[in-house]
Amino acid sequence: MKITLQVSGIAIAAVMAGPAAVWAQGLGAEGSPVEITMIANEAFANQWQEQMVPEFQKVYPHINVVIDGVPYTELLAKSMLDATGPDPVYDIIIADDPWTPQLAQTGVLLDLKGEQVAGWTAPEFEWDDFYAAPLAASEWQGVQYGVPLRSNLLLMFVNKSLYEKAGLPAPTPELTWEQFFEQAPQLVQDTNGDGKVDAWAVDTYFLRDPLTPTIWQTIMNSNGGALLGEDGKAAFNNETGVAALETHKRLLEFAPPGAVSHGFNESLQAFRQGQVATMFTWGSVFKGTAVDPATTTLTPEQVGIQVMPVGSASAGAHRGIWSGVINNKSENAEAAWALLQWLSSKEGEAWQSNTLGVFPARRSTLDSTPESEWMAPVFEALKQGYEVAEQGQMWRPRTPKSDAVQQVLADEVSRALSGQIAAQEALDTAASRIDRLLD
Amino acid sequence: MAVTDHSEGARQARTRSGRDWSDLVSRWSFMLPAAIILAAVLAYPILYTFQISFASLDLATFTATEWVGFENYREILGDRGFWNSMKVTGIYLAWALPIQMILGFGIAYLINVEWKGRSAVRALFLIPMVVAPVVAGGIWRMMLDPLWGMVNWFLGLLGLGNPDWLGDPNLAMATIVIIDTWRWTPFVILIATAALMALPKDVFEAADIDGANWWTKLWSITIPLLVPIIAATFVVRWLGAVKMFDIVLASTRGGPGDATNVVNLYIYEQAFRSLRFAESAAMAVVVLVLTMILTGLFLIGTRRLERSY
Repeated sequence: MKITLQVSGIAIAAVMAGPAAVWAQGLGAEGSPVEITMIANEAFANQWQEQMVPEFQKVYPHINVVIDGVPYTELLAKSMLDATGPDPVYDIIIADDPWTPQLAQTGVLLDLKGEQVAGWTAPEFEWDDFYAAPLAASEWQGVQYGVPLRSNLLLMFVNKSLYEKAGLPAPTPELTWEQFFEQAPQLVQDTNGDGKVDAWAVDTYFLRDPLTPTIWQTIMNSNGGALLGEDGKAAFNNETGVAALETHKRLLEFAPPGAVSHGFNESLQAFRQGQVATMFTWGSVFKGTAVDPATTTLTPEQVGIQVMPVGSASAGAHRGIWSGVINNKSENAEAAWALLQWLSSKEGEAWQSNTLGVFPARRSTLDSTPESEWMAPVFEALKQGYEVAEQGQMWRPRTPKSDAVQQVLADEVSRALSGQIAAQEALDTAASRIDRLLD
Repeated sequence: MAVTDHSEGARQARTRSGRDWSDLVSRWSFMLPAAIILAAVLAYPILYTFQISFASLDLATFTATEWVGFENYREILGDRGFWNSMKVTGIYLAWALPIQMILGFGIAYLINVEWKGRSAVRALFLIPMVVAPVVAGGIWRMMLDPLWGMVNWFLGLLGLGNPDWLGDPNLAMATIVIIDTWRWTPFVILIATAALMALPKDVFEAADIDGANWWTKLWSITIPLLVPIIAATFVVRWLGAVKMFDIVLASTRGGPGDATNVVNLYIYEQAFRSLRFAESAAMAVVVLVLTMILTGLFLIGTRRLERSY
């Protein structure tokens, strides 16, 4: 595998090399290496620095890569501040799903399908090989600014053992919301016979957090609803939106005590300890939830993964893609693109998926057989998830004010989930605030 | 002779004036570095905040581009979230400050007797204060979790139910007050203990001779003598409490709903998550002005209290 990777990498490098002078300046040379810098989420920056960079340097030995890890909450502001400065530090920004419009609006991003970059792009890179949904995360107003590097989707995790204990068949991707709620009461159960309930049907995001509304949004999208209309105004304060929010709130009836203050960490903890039968969360936690005994009590045989339940329009899966974008003021744009291109190439993606367990975005990777057996059901869920996400536009709002919109939704959805106000009032308030914001 | 005297006086005056000038220069040469640093780290951010609160901020350059007058202030006047966060902060302050003051001075009074190990206990009081607020919030969040937390496990043993400390909108505010009280009451205790130990003993001995009981001594001697300290401690705690942010962020994130969304968290979210820096600057200015007014009122009240005792 490594030999294949190196040969392919050298082939890409050779195709991109062109005249010897360009090679020496753009991609470094013996004795005069190029150094590129990247700002990324601290959650994976270290892993990339320690494992991905050495692998990349097997192909591009004269490109040094320095990755700065920044906490998620500060990443956008720091990236913006640096990118818009006269002399930016970072050549590459790793941007979360909704950030491309905000970064692109400032005019600092390089068009990766433009003439300049096209000259550095290997023919076998094949843009069309990417699923449309993950690639669209870094597209804005018809320009492709990034490539998907760490793909993710909101998916449904299933503890098959708890379904079996409740005498229920393990769910399939055809499970509807009606069927989910029919089965939910039986999944709130006493598993050890001591007379106390010790397992619940579901846990997910309920606390006040910008990611909590993604659950409601996915339910709404799978029932044909949309966040914003064609006119760019709020389109969710209607029957479909209200019903979706009430569905989200109804999940609390079958969730562990205190779940209204649960978010990513708490729901993950509950699922990994075998206390909940289902969990709606980001698929990327699958390895730590089903495979790694250091972080979970469950085994791959016990854990299922699939798209979220089916609504009136389709199943659900909310997109969350980390994309790599390049600052157009970068003096090392060619080297920066060499890194992004390698990491998102068929070879790089396969290496990342097999070695780091990172989810791919290419059809060719997802159609291949993963090296780890546990990845096979994940690949199936991702393929279906990308399709439904594309079909139902299941992503956060595509606007330069995306984070502000998401914060408003977090405020109002949380008020509804905690019972402070009714779902209709919450969505009406959110709609009015968002329309004012986007006006 | 008179001429000589006069010229001698003028020379002395010139010498004195030169000495004064030299003294002034030497004083300022010592003060200037500190003054410049203070201006840079304190005055500049405040002035910049004022500037962008009256401007529209270009995110491409992070600079104020256009003077918009009071537009940002008008915007926040209609922002329900901002006024709710002010209300939430008011509720938090109204509960947390009196509880911490009463508990702090009360505990200090009760432990203000000579006993072996008093110094060690006093040192232990420092622990909550040195724990980082984010860590404190996270630990309390774990302890109060209805599913895994030891607090509810203990309450369950006593048959006291399973309260949802962080999920119930009313209880969540109480939880924030409890965590903040755990963290800051020891600070009040330490100040109060030092103040109690410094009280003049002869006054109490005279009261003992006069046959005063403990209540009379407390009400008529201890409290009046402590009034300046109580007032000063209150102002210090007020200035600390009004900045409440990290404990809320770590424990409830402002929820459930908006039950614990204090104003500093709201401003932070609007600035760094929603990138509404100009509006956030306007909110920060409003909070700054209100805090200064209230602090001024508290200081005036403190002086009056000191005079009346």
